[in-house]
Amino acid sequence: MENHRTPLDAAFHALSDPTRRAVISRLTKSPAPVKELAEPFDIGLPAFLKHLRVLEESGLITTEKTGRTRTCQVKIGRLAEAESWLSEQRALWQARTDRLADYVETQMSRDNENDG
Amino acid sequence: MTVENTELTISRFINALPATVWKAWSRPEHLAKWWIPDPIECKVIKLDLRPGGGFETKMREGGGEFQPHVEGCFLDIVPEKRLVFTTALAEGWRPTEPWLALTAIITFEAEGQGTRYSARVLHRNAADSRKHEEMGFQEGWGAALNQLAACAERLE
Repeated sequence: MENHRTPLDAAFHALSDPTRRAVISRLTKSPAPVKELAEPFDIGLPAFLKHLRVLEESGLITTEKTGRTRTCQVKIGRLAEAESWLSEQRALWQARTDRLADYVETQMSRDNENDG
Repeated sequence: MTVENTELTISRFINALPATVWKAWSRPEHLAKWWIPDPIECKVIKLDLRPGGGFETKMREGGGEFQPHVEGCFLDIVPEKRLVFTTALAEGWRPTEPWLALTAIITFEAEGQGTRYSARVLHRNAADSRKHEEMGFQEGWGAALNQLAACAERLE
């Protein structure tokens, strides 16, 4: 599991995936029910719901259940933070640093440390 | 002088020796794995680890053409300790006009059984911020942010 230092890191992580970006793109036009959002994607509903959960946890969208329909909409608050260019650069370098750490710790075993 | 903040520092502990973290940075096959987030593909074009040596990475998403990502020049290399590069110069210290000028000072310090990894990144000025959307584009989130921004403006 990735470790997000700030809410903004989570937002950028959420936007790093093309499916989630497409969902955001759709939701910026209007709120939409989950069923309609899932339609264009060739993935199972559980996998799609996982994407929605990442977006919701990152604070980029909210969901609301009315009767049997769950409707999603974008949340604007997080955007103001993302607009600070230095915050964006910081998020970029933080994510990059976390990917390096993850790669080193999981893909490069200590057995290989001295092979030159 | 303005007091505008144009500098950022990221620091974290990595549970591996500095030699290993250095290797992840200094070998193209390793760098390509973490430099750009999945599912964007990274290709390391130049990684010439000496002062004046070229540093260039390209990226592509969805199997298209590789696009420019980072192009710069190394300024200082101390193996397993420090690596400095800038995007204000290209290979051989040739001045450039990058869309985002930055100097990154990366340090690798032994800490316990691991490494204290730090990235200090210096930027020119906030005027570059107009270009920051391109960086977002490059790492895939720019278009989504622009749509969010447009949406926010409509709601205000």
